[in-house]
Amino acid sequence: MRPKSLVDEAREIRLAGELIRLGARLQVLESETRLPRERLLRLYREIAGRSPSKGMLPFSTDWFMSWQPNVHASLFMNIYQALIRAAPVDSAEALAGAWRLYREQVEILRLEPVLSITRAWRLVKFFECRMLTMAECTRCRGQFVAHADDLLRGYVCGLCHMPSRAGKSRRAPPPTQH
Amino acid sequence: MKAEQLRDEIRELNLAYLVLAQHLLREDRAQALYRLGISETVAELIESLTTAQLLRIAASGVLVCRFSFDEDLVWNLLANYSREGTVPAGLHAAILAAGQRAAAAV
Repeated sequence: MRPKSLVDEAREIRLAGELIRLGARLQVLESETRLPRERLLRLYREIAGRSPSKGMLPFSTDWFMSWQPNVHASLFMNIYQALIRAAPVDSAEALAGAWRLYREQVEILRLEPVLSITRAWRLVKFFECRMLTMAECTRCRGQFVAHADDLLRGYVCGLCHMPSRAGKSRRAPPPTQH
Repeated sequence: MKAEQLRDEIRELNLAYLVLAQHLLREDRAQALYRLGISETVAELIESLTTAQLLRIAASGVLVCRFSFDEDLVWNLLANYSREGTVPAGLHAAILAAGQRAAAAV
């Protein structure tokens, strides 16, 4: 399905360009814009200066459950939800905007982003199909990413109840490509 | 004299805050609403203010900005973060702060 008008198309190209600059994989662009694949491929090569990486995207909600990814995913999701509730933005704009705010927050804390924009996009999709949800911590009342089918009564977040090894390293490992 | 000085300080802070808000809104609207924690309606009002109105509001003697977080937990985490530089406290504060923004925007 092609964008209806030239103005729409220009808007989508601008958005796709921003997502590419933020490091999004091709699958994200295909899902978030209506631009044809060959145009996206050309745009990708022009902006990134290389062909997009091939292969499947990771498909697992479990990745978001281990301590460090969960904390970062929760930060991103809180920002994302605040953003979409505050202003009428479409999903690609919300994704790019929330991810930039997440990256900024992480940089202020002198950490590396653990969540790539592609991971963030997956996270939003998992929320949309209700595989993941926000659980409220019974201690700090914060909202944290959790499996939708888990028992969430009496939930305590990973920051109120820290596993002994968690958060020991000052710098996070470099962000993965996925 | 003291009261006069305080009024001046409030006026200057108001002016800086209003100008910053207008600047943020022009730069990126959605992000500005998030950062400022204001509604679309208030944003439109702030954007439409003329320089004369801006100056008058700044000098009204009332602070136009207020503290963002109602819960003392966020303040404690922020204070601990800046004192000890512990990453988990900083992340925890960031999550709770963003969560309060999300809850306020419903």
